[in-house]
Amino acid sequence: MRSSALSIEQSHSGAVCIVALRGRIDSTSAGDVMTRLSNLITSGERAILVDLGAVLYLTSAAFRVLLVATDEAERGSARLALCNVMGHVRELFEMGGLLDAFTIHGSREEALARLS
Amino acid sequence: MARPPGLLYAVDETPPPITLIIAALQQVAVMSNSLIYPIILAREAGLSANDLLDFASVAMLMLGVATILLCMRSRYAGSGYLCPAGFTQIYLGPSLLALQRGGLALVFGMTISAGLLQVAIAPLLRRMRMLLPPEIAGLVISVVGLSIAVVGARYGLSIIGDQGIRPIYLVIAGITLATMIVLNIWTKGFARMFCVLIGMGVGYAVSAVVGVLDLSAAVPTGGLDFVRLPHFRFIQIRFDLTELAPFIIVALAGTLHLMGNVSTAQRINDDDWIRPDFRSLTGGLAGNGIAAVLCGLVGSLGINSYTSCIGVSTATGITSRSVAYAVGIMFALLALVPSAAIVVATIPAPVVGAAMFFTAAFVFTSGLQMITARMLDSRKTIVIGLSFGAAAMADVYHGVFATAPLFLQPVLGDALVMGTTCGVLLNLVTRIGIHQLASIRLDPGHISHEAVEKFLAEQGAHWAARRDIINRATFGVVQLLELLGDAPGGIELEARFDEFNLDLRVRYIGAPLTFPERRPSAREILESVEGERLLAGHLLHRSADRISSRALSEGAEVHLHYDH
Repeated sequence: MRSSALSIEQSHSGAVCIVALRGRIDSTSAGDVMTRLSNLITSGERAILVDLGAVLYLTSAAFRVLLVATDEAERGSARLALCNVMGHVRELFEMGGLLDAFTIHGSREEALARLS
Repeated sequence: MARPPGLLYAVDETPPPITLIIAALQQVAVMSNSLIYPIILAREAGLSANDLLDFASVAMLMLGVATILLCMRSRYAGSGYLCPAGFTQIYLGPSLLALQRGGLALVFGMTISAGLLQVAIAPLLRRMRMLLPPEIAGLVISVVGLSIAVVGARYGLSIIGDQGIRPIYLVIAGITLATMIVLNIWTKGFARMFCVLIGMGVGYAVSAVVGVLDLSAAVPTGGLDFVRLPHFRFIQIRFDLTELAPFIIVALAGTLHLMGNVSTAQRINDDDWIRPDFRSLTGGLAGNGIAAVLCGLVGSLGINSYTSCIGVSTATGITSRSVAYAVGIMFALLALVPSAAIVVATIPAPVVGAAMFFTAAFVFTSGLQMITARMLDSRKTIVIGLSFGAAAMADVYHGVFATAPLFLQPVLGDALVMGTTCGVLLNLVTRIGIHQLASIRLDPGHISHEAVEKFLAEQGAHWAARRDIINRATFGVVQLLELLGDAPGGIELEARFDEFNLDLRVRYIGAPLTFPERRPSAREILESVEGERLLAGHLLHRSADRISSRALSEGAEVHLHYDH
């Protein structure tokens, strides 16, 4: 099994800030995601795209962090969207009934086209 | 059961009449290549041209009968899948040996014995399912693809010993193969469905133009009748117990051969295919055994399932069982019309070779997908790698193994049987030391999610468990550990596996948990930690196939069950 420790990569494509997550997002790593997203929102980013394509799974703690970050972004007049929600990760979103709670795009390219 | 995207006609669907006829013709064209084996036997028996014609007619009739027996769906016989019959090298070696020792009568008698043995094995097949776990079935299917490709190249390029290839064959095979590839990738509808038949038609025409096709050589000196009833003049049976051993090997090799082919036929009909359906395998084997008995009774070489036909089904997306019945009728007609039979029986070798090479690609890839869906540790890697190597060895050193004793040739002379035998035996041996029950203890303060992942990943690889199920189970345990928090006294995780079930038990000091079915709203999750706990319980409830919690004498236990 590949290393499942969470890694966060950040990049920009035009006005969109891309946060690519890789590995497992659970109670031990959800705080790192929250910190990164909060910092981006408070620093004035207006469009944030969280790419979940390389995430193995995410637990309830991670879902809460994403909900809190989305709420913070909305209150700060920013947009936060998700992309590449596939396979087991998508199943978890479906099980939690949370597909409608987020703005979700199929691919990164599609998301960038919408957010730009 | 999920329909694969490229499937045009599933096993229970019947294509329109024209499509059905052409699809059956396509299979007939590929199956006819296997007539080479009874013809070799007839020539070794010194049959005259007229006798040879009768022998070939009876063989064609049996191809039709056996195809129906293998494919029909009934309580007693038939796999229920499009898995046509063909003569293979499995029967050839021992039959030639029996011919030397007791003439055709002994060949037919011993063929009946092998068939009866397969009929006897069929009801016991389910109990022997540990012999063919899915990763080994994947290996078998890959080897099926490999062996079709090798035989296809041999035919296509006329590779005999060290004589090199015949350039004109390379041209014909190349044009045939290119036609099939182009039609399969860049066209739709009829052109794609019948890419194999159209490619063979193009190859046939090219062969005629360049002078490779010679129909006159197959016509007896007295000419051909338009309609000719086959004479069953070879009905003669003799048994000899001393000849039984090689035919037992033939029966077992044919059984493994059939298991690989029927498993592939099942898989190409179901995107969610996980493991072989043994009810279908049992019926297929019974049908194969009955067909072999009938072959012996009417005077023909023994028969097996024919791998190339599975490749045709995979490549064209036509897997309808109705095609098998049409094939049966066509071969019955071919047995009556010698001129038509000769056209089919003389399809040039490079054309047949190209068709086999083309269809091999689909079978090979299907097997690889089955293997890679499983987690593999070093044991499984060795079993699969060595068996694949052994299968390749049987093909590459075919000439060397041809000098082995004839009774061993069903195993050594056939890549599929060699690879499958190695896979099954090595798998049985390397199972030693694998426990179906394993546990890990995580002490307070050291309850780490990484340790859980490592434990389940290692066990999953030992068991060759499905990767997706282990991933779900890992999520389940990690989510549970989050819910439990820092359990005083630590936790014990126990995992029990068999091919159909994965059961995880997490024991801890504390009260039993409840897992609410109610899904919290996004607002609840956002606003309170309790909402997050509700979500955790709900995800656990939904992600496992069953979950329960109970009190123990000391502490409590959560049981997570996953169907495998």
